[in-house]
Amino acid sequence: MRSGHTWHDRHLGYAFVLPATLLLLAVLIFPAFITLKASFTPDGAAGWRFTPAQYLKAFRDPVLMHAFKNTFSFVAWSMVGHFVLGLGLALALNQALPGQTFFRLIALVPWTIPDVVAGILFRWVLNPIHGAINPLIRTFIPSFPAEFQWLSNPTLAFPSVIVANVWRGYPLVMVMLLAGLMAIPRELYEAAAVDGAGKIRRFFHVTLPGLSTIILIALALDMVWEFRRFALVVAMTGGGPGTLTEVLSTLVYKTYFQFFSFEYASAMAILMSAVLFVLSLPYIILVGREQR
Amino acid sequence: MNGTALTSERQERRIDAIVSYGLLILCTIFAIFPFVFMLSTSLKSEAEALSLPVRWIPKQFTLQAYTEMWTLKPFGSYFWNSIVVSGVTALLSTIVGALAGYGFSRFQFRGRTSLLAFFLATQMISGVLVIGPYFQILAALELYNTLTGLIIAYVTICLPFAAWMSKGYFDSIPKELDEAGLVDGASRLQIFLRIICPIAVPGTVSTLLFAFLLAWQDLLWALCLVSIDEKRTVTLGVAFLVGEFVIKWPMLTAASLIGSLPTILLYLFLQRFYVEGLARGAVKG
Repeated sequence: MRSGHTWHDRHLGYAFVLPATLLLLAVLIFPAFITLKASFTPDGAAGWRFTPAQYLKAFRDPVLMHAFKNTFSFVAWSMVGHFVLGLGLALALNQALPGQTFFRLIALVPWTIPDVVAGILFRWVLNPIHGAINPLIRTFIPSFPAEFQWLSNPTLAFPSVIVANVWRGYPLVMVMLLAGLMAIPRELYEAAAVDGAGKIRRFFHVTLPGLSTIILIALALDMVWEFRRFALVVAMTGGGPGTLTEVLSTLVYKTYFQFFSFEYASAMAILMSAVLFVLSLPYIILVGREQR
Repeated sequence: MNGTALTSERQERRIDAIVSYGLLILCTIFAIFPFVFMLSTSLKSEAEALSLPVRWIPKQFTLQAYTEMWTLKPFGSYFWNSIVVSGVTALLSTIVGALAGYGFSRFQFRGRTSLLAFFLATQMISGVLVIGPYFQILAALELYNTLTGLIIAYVTICLPFAAWMSKGYFDSIPKELDEAGLVDGASRLQIFLRIICPIAVPGTVSTLLFAFLLAWQDLLWALCLVSIDEKRTVTLGVAFLVGEFVIKWPMLTAASLIGSLPTILLYLFLQRFYVEGLARGAVKG
């Protein structure tokens, strides 16, 4: 841009960006500071008095630690499921087979429904008496118990929630990887084939390197999303039975609105957000690098 | 030699196709099976949904659930609330976000990179961080249990998204157009409104629709900021049906399907655009 405009432009840039920035400061950053302040306040204090008591309590709270553990395994298993299914489907869809548009649209459907509906859907499918899963299994394995309780089973409740979340989330990873696959130039494969590279070698030397950035972006984003997943768990199990399927977001919600322990819930929310921030750094760095 | 290479390649292709179809068919069943069951339940009478053995295809098709949801439960008002809240949020976020997106795309100013990172980072925040203060602040402002309160809350999700989405779109419009306008003596605002905005219509409409869907899908905020039936959104109304002592499954599944209709249709239409936005930093949770 010509130098005559620089001074003027610099200020105009601020003018364009200012409304959004101020709005975000008001509706997001200001409330976040209230949470931070509350997290350092004693229970039910009238005024503000600095104390780390809520955090000390949090670190010794087995329920919170359990929710952290659950959240991490929820995130990890969901990411594995999303990646395996997403990559497999993307590779299959990239072959340009007849009917691929149909398959792509169907495969996308789970992603298009709200989380809460996905939770309801699986709650109904897994219903021990009237649901679809038990009769379905019994047609293949007649000895399977007729009224098997998936969501109140101590070992299977949490894995069931994870399977529901894999179902809900694989399509997005799939479309991202498919977009990445389509962007790999065909000549690279042809050149590798001419050099005598077999299928597996082509996959590891052409496909994977070509996909590496989009894989990183997809996984980094997925991690953040699954870490804060809320509605699916609420609709499917509500965190129960007991605290078996409790994740951080449901626990913070309950601590605020069912146990009414404002200061303690604030400390939990801050801890959760601190971890979430660290987890989102890879994505912020990845995208930030592209912007330069 | 050449002939065998060709046949082995053809054979390889055939195996590829068989494996791919196998995987696609299995996944299609996995993807669609819960849906089909939900659809089938929504077309049953309540008695049939609870009768054994479980039937895949209703013995007696009925639209009872689809009519009852509007009379037994006020789904009409739930829909209206969702439309108003999501619509206003989307409009507000897209307008303010487009201004910011244009600013980020076209101007160099001090703090630009940090501000961009700030907008990106705010997309990563979980609403859980601020639901407590929101409850207090909105109660103090007498905005608890109002659609206005929900709109303010949804701006926190939709605005950072819209800013990044439109920045990406403006980046794809050549800067030469702005420069040509400057040469013609137009002001920056005129250039934005008269030259760039008309070109950016498709991108802006997509941003608007995505912002709409973001607000439409939410449950967390509605759960925390609305406690009266008249102000419930569709997702909240559906979630409350699950919490009832006796769940009316046909009505619940029917309401879930109707409530998902906007998101299903729009996401399927707009998915390509959405994926482009993702790689550029516009993120939906």
